[in-house]
Order: sequence, then structure tokens, then C-alpha cells
Amino acid sequence: MERMKGREFTEWLRCRSDEQLRALVTARPELITPVPADIDGLAARASSPSALGRALDRLDRFTLCVLETLVVMRPGPADLRSLLARASYDTDGESGEPASSPASEPASGTASEPACETTSGTATGTARETTSGTVLETSLEAALEAALDRLRENALVYDRHPDADPDDGVVGVPLPAPGVAEALDPAAGLGPPAAEVFRHHPPEQIEAMLAAMSSGTRRGGNPRRNGSAPVERLTARLSDPATVARLVAEVSPQARAALDDLTWGPASGRLPNARREVTAATARTPIDQLLARGLLGATGEETVALPREVALFLRNGRLHRNLSPHPPEPAGAVRDLGLADRTAAGQAFTFTRAVEELCEWWSADPPGVLRAGGLAIRDLKRVTQTLDVPEWVAGLVVEVAHAAGLIADGDGEWLPTDAYDPWRIRSVEDQWAGLAAAWMGMDRVPGLIGERDERDRPLNALHPGLRRAGTGRVRAQVLRVLASAAPGVAPTVESVLARLAWERPRQRVARLDRIVELTLREAEHLGVTGLGALSAHGAALGAVRKPRRGAGKDRDRADERGKADKRNRGDKGDRRDGGGTAAELLAPLLPQPVDHVLLQADLTAVAPGPLTTGLQRQIALMADVESKGGATVYRFGEASIRRALDAGQSADELISALERHSATPVPQPLRYLVTDVARRHGRIRVGTASAYVRCDDPAVLDEVLADRRAALLRLRRLAPTVLASKTSRAALVDSLRAMGYSPMAESSDGDVLVTRADARRTVTPPSAFTSVAAGPEADQCDLVAAAVRAVRAGDEAHLARRHPAQAPEGEVPRSPSSTTIDALREAIREGSRVWIGYLDSQGHATSRILEPARVEGGYLTAYDETRATIHRFALSRITGITDIRS
Amino acid sequence: MTGMAGPLIVQSDKTLLLEVDHELADECRKAIAPFAELERAPEHVHTYRVTPLALWNARAAGHDAEQVVDALITYSRYPVPHAMLVDVAETMARYGRLRLEKHPAWGLVLATSDRAVLEEVLRSKKVRPLLGERFSADAVAVHPSERGNIKQLLLKLGWPAEDLAGYVDGEHHPIELREEGWSLRPYQKEAADAFWNGGSGVVVLPCGAGKTIVGAAAMAHARATTLILVTNTVSAHQWKQELIRRTSLTEDEIGEYTGAKKEIRPVTIATYQVMTTRRQGTYRHLELFDARDWGLIVYDEVHLLPAPIFRMTADLQARRRVGLTATLVREDGREGDVFSLIGPKRYDAPWKEMENQGWIAPAECVEVRVTLSDEERLAYAMTEADERYRFCATTPSKLRVAEALVRRHADEQVLVIGQYIDQLDELGEHLDAPVIKGETRVRERERLFQAFRDKEIPVLVVSKVANFSIDLPEAAVAIQVSGTFGSRQEEAQRLGRVLRPKADGGGARFYSIVSRDTVDQDFAAHRQRFLAEQGYAYHIIDADDVGEEKQAK
Repeated sequence: MERMKGREFTEWLRCRSDEQLRALVTARPELITPVPADIDGLAARASSPSALGRALDRLDRFTLCVLETLVVMRPGPADLRSLLARASYDTDGESGEPASSPASEPASGTASEPACETTSGTATGTARETTSGTVLETSLEAALEAALDRLRENALVYDRHPDADPDDGVVGVPLPAPGVAEALDPAAGLGPPAAEVFRHHPPEQIEAMLAAMSSGTRRGGNPRRNGSAPVERLTARLSDPATVARLVAEVSPQARAALDDLTWGPASGRLPNARREVTAATARTPIDQLLARGLLGATGEETVALPREVALFLRNGRLHRNLSPHPPEPAGAVRDLGLADRTAAGQAFTFTRAVEELCEWWSADPPGVLRAGGLAIRDLKRVTQTLDVPEWVAGLVVEVAHAAGLIADGDGEWLPTDAYDPWRIRSVEDQWAGLAAAWMGMDRVPGLIGERDERDRPLNALHPGLRRAGTGRVRAQVLRVLASAAPGVAPTVESVLARLAWERPRQRVARLDRIVELTLREAEHLGVTGLGALSAHGAALGAVRKPRRGAGKDRDRADERGKADKRNRGDKGDRRDGGGTAAELLAPLLPQPVDHVLLQADLTAVAPGPLTTGLQRQIALMADVESKGGATVYRFGEASIRRALDAGQSADELISALERHSATPVPQPLRYLVTDVARRHGRIRVGTASAYVRCDDPAVLDEVLADRRAALLRLRRLAPTVLASKTSRAALVDSLRAMGYSPMAESSDGDVLVTRADARRTVTPPSAFTSVAAGPEADQCDLVAAAVRAVRAGDEAHLARRHPAQAPEGEVPRSPSSTTIDALREAIREGSRVWIGYLDSQGHATSRILEPARVEGGYLTAYDETRATIHRFALSRITGITDIRS
Repeated sequence: MTGMAGPLIVQSDKTLLLEVDHELADECRKAIAPFAELERAPEHVHTYRVTPLALWNARAAGHDAEQVVDALITYSRYPVPHAMLVDVAETMARYGRLRLEKHPAWGLVLATSDRAVLEEVLRSKKVRPLLGERFSADAVAVHPSERGNIKQLLLKLGWPAEDLAGYVDGEHHPIELREEGWSLRPYQKEAADAFWNGGSGVVVLPCGAGKTIVGAAAMAHARATTLILVTNTVSAHQWKQELIRRTSLTEDEIGEYTGAKKEIRPVTIATYQVMTTRRQGTYRHLELFDARDWGLIVYDEVHLLPAPIFRMTADLQARRRVGLTATLVREDGREGDVFSLIGPKRYDAPWKEMENQGWIAPAECVEVRVTLSDEERLAYAMTEADERYRFCATTPSKLRVAEALVRRHADEQVLVIGQYIDQLDELGEHLDAPVIKGETRVRERERLFQAFRDKEIPVLVVSKVANFSIDLPEAAVAIQVSGTFGSRQEEAQRLGRVLRPKADGGGARFYSIVSRDTVDQDFAAHRQRFLAEQGYAYHIIDADDVGEEKQAK
């Protein structure tokens, strides 16, 4: 059956037009890396678990639900209308309950948590839904068609050949592609079918259940007669809604409540001693009642599951509780657009300046790179103080500067790169566009700085451990969501998450809510948003290609947004050149550089805007920054003036520079300060000398200096009776003796040193290290045990005979394939052990010896012998699989 | 703001820079003054600071966050950082969440509109003992005697309480202003009205701007018995004379409660010193606060209020209080206590503006740098660290410069002010001028002051006893030879001695003689900061130029 399906799918794919295939590989680029040999190869790859996983991750909630419905409905739906009816609870037109409030109740198991509270309701959708049922259905049908087309485009469904046996579906309603069902498992939050749940139950127990099922009806209906296996009979009974209805009606209200909890998934729960023996008569607890009737079945020692048939009954035949073809609207406070833009521009300016300041500072005083990579906490604190920003902002500045390639590790120090100099001379708006683009694209999460990684090591700024794959993608998605909001709306974190959950229900990004929250916070601080609303330049930066999915709603909104959009696009329109447009939009909002300062008598200088770079450096040299922001306040002090003098400027140069750049006369106290500091500057001179020569008779020193042999001694006359030398005292004494003088050495106190041969000694070495033999301690036992276990596992792996699983045709050997699953399934069935290659969360290749337990939702649950625990393994990370036959 | 660059620049450290030459500067100043403290007012760009206290002051005066944000956005030249706007709104929202109110059954209560805040403060170990029963979810009884303490504590916790519990009227006593031959200046009236409408609070006016008269006007509002707390006895006398001159009060109605006299009358003037005198560990004169049913308490020079007076004031929260000061800068940083115990700032006027309007004399400040002689420098280098300031502040070189300055202003009334008695005695000898110091008896002091006012004595040498509240209108020149280290407010007070408008409308001069290259110079820089920030630019000259400058003039 599966093989036939595979052939059908391949044939269908072969019949697709070139354009359709192009659309396919555009939407799923991983199918052509590397390019498969032929359509067979393409089909094989398209149905491999990893490729399917990626494709499914890109589906929005509505499309995914449609696909799930197709998977679960076997045999396939009779027509679109029945598909629709099956897909969602809410499309039930006649129901008095308004089909509105999309997703106001917890969503089904596949959607991530935040989907629970999506749109606050009233504003969106309701009006549409309250219109007459036919309009509603028509629009839904259109959405459904669109969803099916999208699935076809992605080769996630295919159409049967017109000549095929029509029993298994209708023309116009496609079938899921091979592998999709496995990849989606458990689809729509449904538990396994009864046949699977009860497979390992002892026949006696099943007979007892069958008996319990029959107890309410006539005795004679004992199905033992038809001779089929007990499991099959049980399955047949559970597939009959009437029977299930009766069983459900029998149980206590508490048991009913337990069923309701499991209905919409997850369909399994934990229960100690799940494989207990109970009968309807002995059942005491509500759970016992369910177990006795087969409404719940044990799937492990401590887990129970709701059989799919029962769940479908409880769901009233529908697969999804609420299903809206429209995404939830991002909601939040509404801001004035102009104000939001200006606020964002102010922030953009501040941020850009902070990066520049950081680079300037690190040019002169670079911090070291930690051995483990990254920036020391102490150094980050200094950034915090110097930039006068909170610590998380300091982290953001450093990380963005790094991502933009402005700073890098240069021989163990964090230094500005050679890219910094060209960046520095660009205009502020261009600088910002560069930084913002780097921020958008970076896969690092600055917000994690200061936290600890999974191995409890601190995460420092610029540390490699800050990388979280997919962060850049999430940022782009968040910006798209912001762009999709009505003009001026500052969406709340919750509404953004709800929207993301709708757009990418299967997307699994670790701590997505945290990353989204951080993204919004960072966007605000970078000036991408202002007061929470996406700014014009921020929108241009995203080069936002608006998602055109979800029927006409987006288009409506596009009209609403109208004004803002026109502004965003300007007449430049070229969305691909996002950076350039963003800079152009930002430029008029930025403070213009000024080339003068206001000097005041309280020894301050105010730069009423950003200074031109040259002037800024000059002022920064002679005054200390007192306050920053739109303007900069500098204070002149003795120390700062001295700094300028130390840098080689003279008092006159300083004053004339001030006169040149001041819009007002130079105040007298400032002039006085400069000359006063200059007066004292350098009055005392300090140098190094290693020895001196003094003589009360200057003539003798004249003589020494004149001697040609003295040139090597590098003597310098400090005073008439004193010479300083760079040579050592002993060498000087010897040389002078050689020149015919009879010098005497002086101690540092001026005493005459008497030379005599001293008995020589050396330094006492540190006492020999005495090692204490440490006895085995209790906590070492665990360690020893683990070591032994690892040795055993490694040993086994080494001895194991390896049967490389067959690679599918045209498949890269390393990528996981459907055969991996087959091999795993087989191992589960046989209860045998396998040896797998696995990439851990750090991306390291490891090997494990496993006893597989089950495969679902793209994950393998197995007992890991190497670590002696039960683990879940992502199928996509399994690089290879081998049987172990011991 | 249509396309025009505003006069205001908002800084990331919550300071506001106001370009004073901008055509909207005046309008902007009026808009931001309620919520931002003027920190510096040099010639071109004034600096205001937005502090929590300033924002709460604004709330107390009836401004809301929206007005503040609006003012910032309207006048700002560049976009206002978002963080600042959020912070303003959040800080202002904290004021008034808790209110002190009168409850018919429970008396004084702490009530809230935000239960979470009440919960938070109730968890504070310090707050809890001050409170009584929590008779409803949103209100707790407060012992009346803890009204001040609880306000102080809540301010420290960042939840300043709005005091709506009202005031006792006190014992009625008729007091009228007698505007004969003078009249209340507009700002004095505004200040007194602002105080009265606010209930309690602080009025900030420059030295010489007539704070006593604001006090008198406040008393005329209250028409009740009044307790006035002043810094010293001489000041007490001056208050008494001023009140007799300006109001309907007669000498019999005004009592002095000082070291020498202990009179309690409808209007009683007491000194901080008497009030804080302790014998056997107890304050002996606390009964004064209860001696009468005071309707108003006036605190002169509120920036000097000693800690015990704060504690006593905490018990007086039901009485109206007015604080008068030239600067809210306290060297001990207790501005928060002034806010919670005396009240919010009710009125404030920049010095330079008063000068422009002619209410105080224009003044020129000059720092004269004296170079120590070689021997002095050597001696200075060898002095112990704790003696260094005294050494360089009293260096004999200063004597010569002081003499030269006095000679130069021979036809003007000159005050020489210093810290060290030996130095002052020596100066008095050299200048042939009387010296007023701590040990000078009050009668003698007043005789000398009067003689100085009458221009019988052209030069007076005074110690720090004359720092405050001495009314010497004709002093046109002050020469400061030494001071209390780096005290900013002392410098301001001393300048204030010469700021009274002169009969001839002339300006005043303030000389500060400083030893070059010593700690004296460092302290001087610190002392001058307040005045420099108020717009008084110090001109620095060398001691040798003192004579030459005279010739040039």
C-alpha cells in the first residue's frame, strides 16, 4: 500500500508543470540542496522526515489543520464540504453558538501555548462571522481551496490519477503525500488508534473490556463468535459511536471530566501502575472506570492514552475545535504615527552613537577576550558605566557592533575592525541601517547575557553560547507581524505571539515567547519601533514582503494602513533595497550635526546636537562629558585640560580652538583655567635613569662628558654637578675605573657602599608538595558507575555488527530518511536495540545505544543505554542507524 | 511646533537643557518649571533636572503626567527618549496612590486606590508599627502622632502619600499686613498665595528677596497664632522688628524664645538652638510646641533645619507649615525629609530673574587668587592633611589682599567675612575695624550692625554668625577670606548679604580670596558651583592685579 502510494506520488510529481516544480523548490529550498538526480530522488527527498518537518513548519495554522484533517480522514472525504465540516467545530453553521471568537478557547494540541489567548475578540472577525451562513461558508470554501492549493504547491498533498480506484477519495480532494501522516503524528492532538493502544494488552483483559462493553446490552451479543482477535473486536466496538456513547454515559461525572481533559489533547497522561487489572465491577476510581471500559488504555508502565476513536466521538466528529482562516490581528495601544517615527528616530540616533562611542573607547582601551570566548562581566559593567545605560543595553550595543563586524577578536582583545573606519565616516542614518540590518540577521540573543547555559556556565556578552538558531528568522517574523498591524498600533507581546502561533504553529524555537519579548524590547531600543509601533524606517528596513495569505483580510488592512504605507514606500518603492530606503526615511528625522558649542562661565560647554566628528574629538579631549542625549554637556576641569596638554596641545592652541568653535565669547574663567593649568603643566619633569654620577667639581664632569669612551654610557647632564646614566651602577663604576677615575658606589640613602665578596645563597624553594591520598568518597561512587556504564556502552558499540540501513534512492547518506523510521519501527516491534548516530543540541556528533519505544511527532522516545535514562530524540538529528545483534 | 526647532533638549540622564536665547525659551521655562528643578542657570543654556521629588512636587501642585509629557514633546528639539516618557508617567503615578485622610470613625487613616500598593507598604517592617488596625481592605488606621513619620517612610519606599487629612485652624489671632509706604511685591504675593493654597510647603527665594515678608504675608493669610523658628538670636530680633514694621502686630504680641528670654506670646520667635538644647538627654523646650494651639509654623532657612527639628516637626503634621529658604540644596542630602515633613516646594524663582526685575542688586563675583610665598608653600607642604585647609585659608598673604580690596572700596560699606577667629581678629586690627564673632554679645552686635547701617562704620569684620538673616542693606562689598570648607549654601548665603537692593541702585561685589594651588582652591571651586549655576559667573583675577584693576577703573 505504502509503496503504491509512493509511486503514485512520484507520478503526480512527474506530471507537475515546470512552473509548479519551480514553485515547489522555491518554497522548499532544502529539496535541491544538493540537487537530486531525478524526479524519483526529488519525491524521495520530499517525503523524507526532515524535509517534511521543515515544510510543515512553514504552514500556517489553517493550512496545517486542513492537512491534518486529510491525514486523519480515512477513507478520504466525499467532497470539500464534508472536509470542511470535519475540519472544524466552528464551521457548524446552524449552531446557535456564534462561530466567532476565533481561537478563544485553548487550541488543539499542535498549536503552541500562546494560541490560547489570541485576539481579544470583538474587533476582529466577529462582524464577518455574524453574516449569513452561506456567505460564511462561501468564504470558508474559498479559503479551503486556497489552502489545498498551497499544500499542492508544497507537494504535501497530491491528487490521485483520474483513472485510479475512486473508492479511496474523490476527485478534487487530494491525498496527503507519503510520510506526511508519520511526520504529523499525532495529528490534531489525537491519541493512537485503539488497535495500537491495546496491542500489548493481555487477551484476558481485552475480553474483560469487551464483556464490560456488552454488559449493558444483550448477553448474546458476545463477539467471540466471529472468531477474530480480541483487539480487532475491541477496535470495531470503539469505532461504533453508539457503543462509545453508551460507555461514556455509564461512567461517573469525575471520569467524564477526566475524558474531557484528554479530548483536545494531549491525548495521553501519566498514571502510576497504568497496567493495573480492573474490571467494570471492581473499578473504584474514575480512571479505573475508564480503563475497565477500554475508554482509556495503558501505553506504558506509567502512561495511559485516549484511543483515537474515543476522542473522535468526544470531539463530536470534528478534528479542530476552532479554526479560522484569518490570522489573529496584532492588538495594542494606538500611537500617533509621527510621534512614533520621531521617537524611533531619537532612539536610532542614541543607539548609533552608543556603538560609535564604544568603538572609540575600545580603540584606545580594548578589553580582553576570555579564554572561553566572550567579554568578561567586569568589562561589560564598565561599558554599562561608560555608556550610562542599563546592562542589557550595554550587552545589546556590544553584540550588535559585533554582528555588524565593527568589533572582533584581534589577538585576544576586542578591537574595532578595519570595517569600523569606513563605517564611522558614513552618515548616521547609513550607520544605523547597517547596525539594524546586522541586528535583524544575527542568530544571537543578547538578552541572554548574564544567564546560564544548560551546563550552568555563565553566558557572557560576545560568548559563542549566545547563539540560538532561528533567532534571526523569528526577528524577521516579528517585524512582519508588526508591519501587518494597523497603522500606529503597538502590538502587545501576547498578540504578537498569538499571531506567530497562527502563522507558524509547528515552529519550535526554544523559549519563543522570551525571544519575541526580547525582540520587541530590542527593536524599541534600536529605534526600529517607536513607542512600540513600527516606524517608517523600521518597516523599510524589514523590506517587508507582506504575507499575502489568509484571504482578503490582509488586503483590507493594506487599504486601512494606506497612508502609512505610502509613506513607508515613498516613491522609491524598491522594497528589495530595504537598507537604503530605511536610511533615506530616517535621515530627515535625525538631529543635524552642529559645528559649534556654547561655552559657559560655569566651565561647561553645550553641544546643542551631534557634533561633527572632528570637533567632537577635539572637545572630548579637553573636557569631560557630563550628560548625553540630544545634546552633549561637557565640563572643563583641571584634569581634562591637562589631558589635552598631555596630548601635545598648547594653551594657545586650546584657546584658539575654543574661540573658533564657540558660538559665544570664551568666558574669562575658562580662559583663566586653561592658562593656569598650562602654567603648572610640565613644571616638574620625570624621567628614568638607572644610575647617576655626581661630583662636587663640575670641571671633572665636563671632563667625563668630553671623553669619547663615555658615549657608550649614555650620560646626560641634569645639573652642573650631576650626570644621569642609563647604564647600571656597577657597569658605570667599572667603566669609569677603566677610564682612569676612581669612583665610589653610593647606596640609595647616599651612603658609601663597600664592596666585598659575599657568600652567595639562593631562594628557598616552596616546600615539597605532599599529596594526600584521598579515600573513595560517597559522591565519587556515582561517578565511577557512570564511567563504567559509558565504557560498557562504548564496548558494545565497538563489538556490534553493523548493518547500515539502506539509503533511499537519490538520498544523501547523512540525511535521515523514511527508512530510518522503518528501521526504528521494526526495532520497536521486535524489541531490539539499535545503535544510532546523533547530533546533540550543541551540534556534536554522538553515538548512542538505544532501545526504541515509540516514534511520534518527529521524535523517537527510547531508553538510552549509554546514559541509562529515557530520552526523546529528534528524528531529524539521527544521522544513521544500525541494528545491534548481540 | 511646526517645523521649528524647540528650545529644549532632553538628555538621557533626565536633565533638560533650555537654550535661553531661543524665542520660545520663556514659554518653555514656564511649562517645565513645575516638574523640573532648575539645576544650573549659566548664561546660555539652563539645566533643569527631572527628579522623582520634582515630579511629585508637580503632582502635589495639580499637574498630571500628560501635561508633563506634553510639555516635553512640545518644546523638545529632538525626539524625547521613550524611556524618559515612561519613567515620568510611572513616577508620577506613584504619588497619591496612598492618601492620608480623616475618617469619621477611625480618625487619621492611610487609604489607597490601589490595594497592591497598600499590601506592599504594609509588608515593610518599618511601616507596620506605625499603623493601627486595617479596618477595610483599602484603608488602615494611623496613629495621629505618626503622621509625619509615615510620610517620611512612604517617601523612602517610593510611594509618597498625599496628605489630605487637613489642618487644625489653631487659635485665632488677627494679623494684617500694613502696606504703608511699601507694598507686597508681586512675587511675594504669589509665593504666599501658592503656599496658602497648597496648605503647607516651602518657598524658595534668593537671599535679599524679602523672605521675611513672605512669612508675614503667610501669617496674614492664617490669622492665627504663629510659631517662627529661626537660626539665631539676631535673626530673631530682625524678624520681630520686621513684623512690627510690616504688620498690625505690636511689640506686646510678639514673644522671643531664645537663650536669654523665654516669652510665649501669640506670635513667638524661637531659635533652632534653643529648641535643640538638651539637658540630661531630653529636649527641654519641647513644650513650646504645645504651649499654644499654633495655627502656623514658619521655618526660616529650611535648608539648615537640624535633625532634631525634623523629628519634632514629624509630630506637627496637623499644623500648617511654611519653610523659607534661598536654596533647597542641603549639604546633608535630606531634601526628601523637607518634602515629606514641611511640604512640597510651592514657589521658586531663579536668582537672575529676580535681579533682572530689580528685586535684588546685581552682583559681580570675583575670585582673587593669592600666590603663597615660597616659605608658605614649604610650610603648606609639611602641614598635616586635616590642618591644610586652615593653613592655606588663613595665610598672611590674604591679609594684604584683603587690605588692598578694602582700600580700593574705601567709599563703600564693606563686610569682611571669615571662618577663623584668629584670622578675623588680625584682620580687624589691620583694617581698624570692629569684629563680630560668636562671643560678641547680642547687644554689642546689634549696636555695630546699626552703626554699619548708618554708615558710621565703613568696614565690619564678621564670623559665620553673620551668615544668615542679617539685614544689612547698605553692604555693597563682601570680602570672603575663609569659609566652611566646600559649603555651597554658605557661599550663597554670604553673597546674599550684599544682594539687598541699594539705595543708589548700584551693584554689589563679592570677593573670595583663595590661595592658589592649595586645597583652598579646590574647596572654592566647589563652593562656587551653586552660584555659578545660578548664573553668577566668577571672574578670576590674580592678587597682583587688584591694584592695577583699580587704576583701570
